[in-house]
Amino acid sequence: MNNEAFAELVDAHYAPLYRFALSLARNTSDAGDLVQQTFFIWATKGHGLRELSKAKSWLFTTLYREFLRGRRRDARSTSIEDLPQAEKEPAAEEVDRVSRIDAALVMTALQTVDETFRAPLTLFYLEDMSYQEIADALDVPIGTVMSRLSRGKSQLRMALERVESAGSKVLPFPDSKGARAS
Amino acid sequence: MTIEEAKFILSAFRPNGSDAGDARFGDALRMTDGDPMLKAWFARSRAHDEAIAGKLRQIAPPEGLREAILAGVRVSDPRKNSGLGWGWIASLAAAAALVIGVFSMRAPARPESGTTALAGFAIDDMVNKRHGGDGEPAGALIARLQAKGARMPVAEQIDFEGLRETGCRTLNFAGHDVLEVCFLREGTWYHLYLTRRDGPIGNSVDRGPTFISEAAGAAAVWSDARFNYALASKAGVEALRRLL
Repeated sequence: MNNEAFAELVDAHYAPLYRFALSLARNTSDAGDLVQQTFFIWATKGHGLRELSKAKSWLFTTLYREFLRGRRRDARSTSIEDLPQAEKEPAAEEVDRVSRIDAALVMTALQTVDETFRAPLTLFYLEDMSYQEIADALDVPIGTVMSRLSRGKSQLRMALERVESAGSKVLPFPDSKGARAS
Repeated sequence: MTIEEAKFILSAFRPNGSDAGDARFGDALRMTDGDPMLKAWFARSRAHDEAIAGKLRQIAPPEGLREAILAGVRVSDPRKNSGLGWGWIASLAAAAALVIGVFSMRAPARPESGTTALAGFAIDDMVNKRHGGDGEPAGALIARLQAKGARMPVAEQIDFEGLRETGCRTLNFAGHDVLEVCFLREGTWYHLYLTRRDGPIGNSVDRGPTFISEAAGAAAVWSDARFNYALASKAGVEALRRLL
């Protein structure tokens, strides 16, 4: 792969890869490292991939594997799926809540979702990958992806509620008269 | 299909509508037409998903990340400066031509021809070929090499036949089988090449370690009673010294 083609590949995928990495690693420094490491592996190994159409899945899969290699999986993550499904469904006002919250706070809320659900949830919200591609990238069955999305969304809604609540306490925005915004 | 099953499936429906043509969603989507409550739920769910997806799109990568990726790979992988598809004979010739620095931990000595040839072979393979070792013995060796502070293996620790027969990547160097495994130690990739110490070239590899640096990367070459070893990395001689 020549330099121009490689630059095109980077341009097409580095931003969504970074968002995925940030949701997993929970800090910008490690997220940047993960993205760089992923493209480095591509340059040394992945350039042999014959079908460039599969590059996107390859990059996300590789980043996720590099993340998993970087830390020890704790036992909790495997037992989470045995928990009963939470019953938090979207209410109309929750769309308004998301609109009010800053993008960084939405990411903060996402980072609090259990990792088992966070990886498929982030890939879903990036909208680049279908549930089938997410299943391939994470190496889990389609049904498991759907289950994790459903539970992950529920956790995220609760996390957004907490984040907004904490944000209003910690960072009150005074209006022009000095009163707190509601 | 129950309402709950429909909700379960529709949770995977991307808010931008990319999945509209996917047959797996067909029944659940049709069900929303005949059930006003399910339809309202789906509308709220999609609006919520779209709002979150929109927020995530606002997260920008840090300034300079793109440039760092491109520059990092350019520095590490200067294939643009070398001919592709060289065979091993070309590699040996290139090795001699491209060597720009030779460093030895022993008293100053001119590297033997086998040493230089094996280093050139290792560096060329590291830069230009696809890698990937398989097999349980290779996996065990890689795991050991990746451990922080682990020393390079010695002859008694190497099951050459076991590695080769269980799928470890095997190359040909001057008529000899060369086994190769890649491993990552503290963020740096290394490639270890092993070949038996026999034949005219195999026997002329210096005891070393001898460090050879090229534009594309560096290799350390050494030997013991049974094997010749080449450890190659794009991170340079100092990275190699840390492991020996």
